[in-house]
Amino acid sequence: MDPRSFLRQTPPFDVLSDEDFETAAGAMEIAFHPAGTRLLTAAGKPSEALRLVRKGLVRLEKGGEVTQVLEEGDFFGFSVLTGTVETDVIVEEDLLEYRIPSTVFRALLSDELFARFFTKRLAERLRSASVVNMPLLPADVLAPVGSLLDHRLVTVECGATVVDAARRMRDERVSSVIVLCDPPAIVTDRDLRNRVLAEALGPDTLACRVASSPLRSLPDSTPVFGAMQFMLEHGIHHLPVLRGGQISGIVTSTDLLRHQSHGPLLTFKKVEKMRGPSAAKGYGGDLARMVSTLLGSGLPASHIARLVSHLNDALLKKLVSWAERDLGPPPCPFAFLVFGSEGRLEQTLLTDQDNALVYRDSSADASTYFSAFAESVVKGLVAAGFPPCPGGYMATKWKGPLSEWIERFSGWVQAPQAEAVLAAAIFFDFRKAGGSLDVSSLWDEIGQARKNAPFLSHLSRAAVGFRPPIGAFRRLSLENGGVDVKKGGITPLQGVARVFALDAGLRATSTVERLRGAASAGLISREMADDLIEAFEFLLDLRLRNQFEALTEKRELGNHIKIEALSQAERRHLKEAFLAIRDAQREIVHRYHVTTA
Amino acid sequence: MKGLSHFFRRSPAWEDTVFWSLDLETEGLDPRRHHILSVGMVPVRRGLIRLSEAYASLVRPSGQPTVENGAIGAHHLRPADTADAPDLASILPAVKERIEEGVLLLHHAPIDLGFLRRAFSENGHEWKKPLVVDTVRLLYRSASQERFLGGQNTDPELNLFAARQKFHLPLYPPHDALTDAIATAELFLALRSRLGATRVSQLT
Repeated sequence: MDPRSFLRQTPPFDVLSDEDFETAAGAMEIAFHPAGTRLLTAAGKPSEALRLVRKGLVRLEKGGEVTQVLEEGDFFGFSVLTGTVETDVIVEEDLLEYRIPSTVFRALLSDELFARFFTKRLAERLRSASVVNMPLLPADVLAPVGSLLDHRLVTVECGATVVDAARRMRDERVSSVIVLCDPPAIVTDRDLRNRVLAEALGPDTLACRVASSPLRSLPDSTPVFGAMQFMLEHGIHHLPVLRGGQISGIVTSTDLLRHQSHGPLLTFKKVEKMRGPSAAKGYGGDLARMVSTLLGSGLPASHIARLVSHLNDALLKKLVSWAERDLGPPPCPFAFLVFGSEGRLEQTLLTDQDNALVYRDSSADASTYFSAFAESVVKGLVAAGFPPCPGGYMATKWKGPLSEWIERFSGWVQAPQAEAVLAAAIFFDFRKAGGSLDVSSLWDEIGQARKNAPFLSHLSRAAVGFRPPIGAFRRLSLENGGVDVKKGGITPLQGVARVFALDAGLRATSTVERLRGAASAGLISREMADDLIEAFEFLLDLRLRNQFEALTEKRELGNHIKIEALSQAERRHLKEAFLAIRDAQREIVHRYHVTTA
Repeated sequence: MKGLSHFFRRSPAWEDTVFWSLDLETEGLDPRRHHILSVGMVPVRRGLIRLSEAYASLVRPSGQPTVENGAIGAHHLRPADTADAPDLASILPAVKERIEEGVLLLHHAPIDLGFLRRAFSENGHEWKKPLVVDTVRLLYRSASQERFLGGQNTDPELNLFAARQKFHLPLYPPHDALTDAIATAELFLALRSRLGATRVSQLT
């Protein structure tokens, strides 16, 4: 790559206007320094230019200690701005540097986006970079949901009957109507069928009696994908949209569907229409297409993961209802739990199942019933495309009465052996995905971890077991020309977040929420939480994109990311993400007195 | 010894000298038959390659262009590319002015010098042979120094691309006169440092 192109693709020069970039490129100077050359001296004369490593290595030293090694694409000479040289700057390997003279560099700083690169912290840097790198989003996911409204609001008075409501709907050709009671309520096509006709209620029935309230509504500025997520979460098809606190109209799932051929709502509809386990077969493929569409439209991986989790939950509810249909009603309430990435709402592609079954009574009847029940649901999940868990963490094996589960959870917290720590790392990221049994008592057991220093210390050791691939002097250490983003980043960070969450007594399972919660609880600084969240979302995104490329090219899905496939900007962010995780691990080691064996 | 140091002192320090790196793209290798198609120049001033002073121009060949087998493959310029460019006569003053400012820096000097000499005389300019630094000669010198120091006894890589690789310089796309002039200037900086040369006389 010639000097001009190299500079152009190096952030933040990639954000400059063509005109400003010409100024920068036109003023560039090139210098060569052999290894050993001292370029700048701490507290000495400031640099006369912003300097960019083109080839070779530069080491920064403080009091004779190497603090950092800069490589291709890294900048130094910030003293050109600050006037103070912080570290000695010494050439480690023959250096070819590009230089932007002081006056030109200062003039470029009038570009706000460009300037921010040199002034802000990691989190902000990642955020602004992802805005720049993200492909333009199509209107359909980021547009405000209010833009989909194409009909004025249709209402009936509070005293209206179901017949009044049905007539209004017919006349206005809409599928729902707002009943103006206090609070307002909504009646839909479906309600007239299921709650009026099927219940043999008469035409004089008051509309408000069969209406749903309180309304589940959102402001009209909510992005479309947020509205989808909300509707999936609550299983609703009609969304009242608010403007200035007032209902301005109803957006239906059909309205949203019209904007998306492989969208989440279409997949949701398909799930809802499934009539038996054989229909579940195409689910994995539908989901992959949906993820691909959303990914292509630039939605971050963490948002996609949430949508996927809600869809998986919808599928699970179907499987549960079929099991109940075949086996008869359950003898007692139960809860179907999901773990791991599913439990953390971080699943994007269908990965191994991690699930378990908890039921209220410890009777023989219940045991027999739920054995068959678990078989049926797990089989359905396999048919839908969730491979069985190789470790056997599935409801077919992990099932039992609540009392047994409480004992089990309590055992893990009280006697943290290696096995218990492994179990905690899996089971403590749990979420109820089906059933009506209240499982908050399990959280009470997990809550005991808070006061249990040995447990937290063991869990911490597990969280620092995998280290980010950062070698000596803050350089990426590559393996087969790349890095493992799961082992080196995602898993350690999930582990770190888990420790903080359990220490803070949080019930959140998603890594992002746990980190936010840890900051609110004062365990870590807000800055650290922001940095880690950005790092996490960046890594998830990188992995998902990599996996989709692998899918398209029919390669095996993995977590290995080739460094040469990344842009200069992505390499930098990758390194910074790993560095943030390493800092967090150090914090963990220090705080929970982890002694490394 | 006194005499020798006196001799060195007479030659200016390399940082105080301006080196104009120059590269020509031509139709072929014979100055009598082939035309110059483009010129790229960039100075090394106080040890820095200064792109702000870079000079580059395409050149419209006078008379019949000589297109030979493979020639377009070598310089990547089609007749249409140079059709609207200034002719050699109108750009020579700019080239001359720069050459005369300091030392001329070339990679494999004889060929480009042949073209320059002919271009000057054909257009009524006096050709005063400038002080020339040839990176190919420096490569030979570096190789013999390496042998002397007990390194590998191999012939140096003389091709600009291969030589740059040996010095761990970045890969630049070929066939552009200015990029090649920059590439030559960078190789010069690396060789200057390797040879430990401090005076211009140690480089010419």
